[in-house]
Amino acid sequence: MLRGGIVGFGRMGFTHFSLLNSHPGVDLAAVCDSSDFVLKNAARHMGVEPFKRFDKMIETTDLDFVIVATPTAMHAEVAECAIAHDAHIFVEKPLTLNPERSQRLLDLLRGKDLVHQVGYAMRFHDLFARAKSLLDSGVLGPLVTFKVEMNGPVVLHDARRSWRSKKTAGGGCLYDFASHSVDLVSYLVGPPDEVLGTVFSHIHSEGVEDALSSTFVYEGGTRGNLLANWSDRSFRKPSCRFEALGRQGRVIADFYTLKVFFNEAPELAGYTEGWNEEYLATVAAPVRFYVRGFQFTRQLDYFIECIQSRQACEACSFEDGLCTDVIMHRIRTDADRRRLHARQDNTRRQPVLRH
Amino acid sequence: MLDRIILGDNQFFGINHMSEEKGRSLSIRFKDTEAIIKVIDIAHACGVRAFMLNTHDRVATICDHFRACPSRYADLRVYPSMPYAHKYANSVHEKGLVGALNAFVFSGRSVGEVVGTVIRGGMSVINKDMIEVMKLLVDAEMRMFRGLHVPAMFLQNIVTDLLLGFGARDVFVAFADHVRKTYGAEPAFNTMNMPALVDFLLESGIENPIVCSSINKTGFLMTPSRQAYERTLTRRSFRPMAMSILASGAISPREAVEYVCGLPHVESIVFGASSREHIAETVKMICSCWSIEAGAAQLAEVS
Repeated sequence: MLRGGIVGFGRMGFTHFSLLNSHPGVDLAAVCDSSDFVLKNAARHMGVEPFKRFDKMIETTDLDFVIVATPTAMHAEVAECAIAHDAHIFVEKPLTLNPERSQRLLDLLRGKDLVHQVGYAMRFHDLFARAKSLLDSGVLGPLVTFKVEMNGPVVLHDARRSWRSKKTAGGGCLYDFASHSVDLVSYLVGPPDEVLGTVFSHIHSEGVEDALSSTFVYEGGTRGNLLANWSDRSFRKPSCRFEALGRQGRVIADFYTLKVFFNEAPELAGYTEGWNEEYLATVAAPVRFYVRGFQFTRQLDYFIECIQSRQACEACSFEDGLCTDVIMHRIRTDADRRRLHARQDNTRRQPVLRH
Repeated sequence: MLDRIILGDNQFFGINHMSEEKGRSLSIRFKDTEAIIKVIDIAHACGVRAFMLNTHDRVATICDHFRACPSRYADLRVYPSMPYAHKYANSVHEKGLVGALNAFVFSGRSVGEVVGTVIRGGMSVINKDMIEVMKLLVDAEMRMFRGLHVPAMFLQNIVTDLLLGFGARDVFVAFADHVRKTYGAEPAFNTMNMPALVDFLLESGIENPIVCSSINKTGFLMTPSRQAYERTLTRRSFRPMAMSILASGAISPREAVEYVCGLPHVESIVFGASSREHIAETVKMICSCWSIEAGAAQLAEVS
């Protein structure tokens, strides 16, 4: 039986607790959060030891693994503490707010036989995983263009009280929401060689961006666009759609449907020339316990399986998390550079505008 | 008495597990509440007397309409499913957990109710036990259904399954007691993990529970497997209700109904449809497979 603890008992902390507590090979022993309300109720109704301080929890509870589901700014220090105490570690996305900090975590892990995983759950979604197999097989030919769009009704007012509206805490559309779609690009196409034309937009929030767009360029000639907006009321819930055009066909994937078009019949069983459609309802393999989506169970069961079988996590390791952190850092740098240029342009134009 | 045929409301709110585009067209089609009421009236004319309604904000308007036409809907029965998870999720995102809970517990309450709540534990849920908060939230959600005939109240599947994973036995027991004592209704549970939930509820002393889950020939959203569901249906004593019988359109209506009606002990079917043709066809097929008549005679004895 593996003993685990969860740091951060918000929405993802709840989901991870529910999924791991129902796992036959796991004993969840401790929970850490800053809220007295949460801790009191976790102890009373879920039978776990509550902690206000993560370092005390990790030092005193003898844990095999730690799940980190805090605001992103805390990920690094909790992960460092867990690694120092030789606990396997799962960190919610994104890994950290700074690629250097993420690299430091990897340095600390060197020489240690510990499983490390980042919570990019979309890598465990049946339809995006199928899109990955199609792209890797080369049947679509070299990619010409792709786009990934992520939209949702997540922030519909200026939510000043939430950490998600604070840049220093890891809030904002890019890090807290669009990181999933940035990782999807990294997973499906790979890291871009250039990041261009990034624009951050404010809709409700003052301190952070609510929407962004960016262009990715690859040496081979592939070009991709990222569009994300967490203040879009026209979506019932968060949605992500990936679309790529190759020389031999097109693939479109979202949470429910995979559509593939082949210019000519491919050498791939089950697919024909023209449009092919697959649905989550028909391709999703069952899981042992379901909460909010197959992918959440699959990613945690994979983490536990890696620990049990003493295998390194290959599906979404800290290396993958670092790669996505680097892309996000470049997106943010590109947006800052653009804003700076815009400000300088305005300053230069001002005397002219007065005439 | 539990209704044997119940119309669900996912289609009215753009929920479709097959395609986001289909979901969006449904949202457009049911933009106006009148369009929803029109479909409810069609279902009523086809002999459907029961409706499962999530506590979506727009359901309050539908309930106002039911109350405004008491004679037309005199024999109508409503099965609330609570909470509508996305309104909570978005609020938690903006206000934090305690802020969101406070907003839901205190919004829409009369001065007297707020004073009563404050006296019992302060102006915030922070001083309260989770069970007390759960009761306050149930009461807040039930306000929209006041004056309507509510035979059973469902805990929505995300909440049910989270709590099942938590192993929070006392919360399930408290929900069941609160529903029975305060509303004179039967406690009921939506889930994606039916075999595990049924065992857990029976072990918790909740006898013969009403459990609504996906039951379809392809095994879609049947965790951990269709075979486990079939075993539980045969071996456990509970009142099963079937939803997602069409697996979001992956199965033909005839095949879907024949499979579910052929299973032992399934008491009710909750189905989603939005055209006269589909509603009439589904009701006719269920009635034929179960040898029942649409309308008043379609009630199953609650044993």
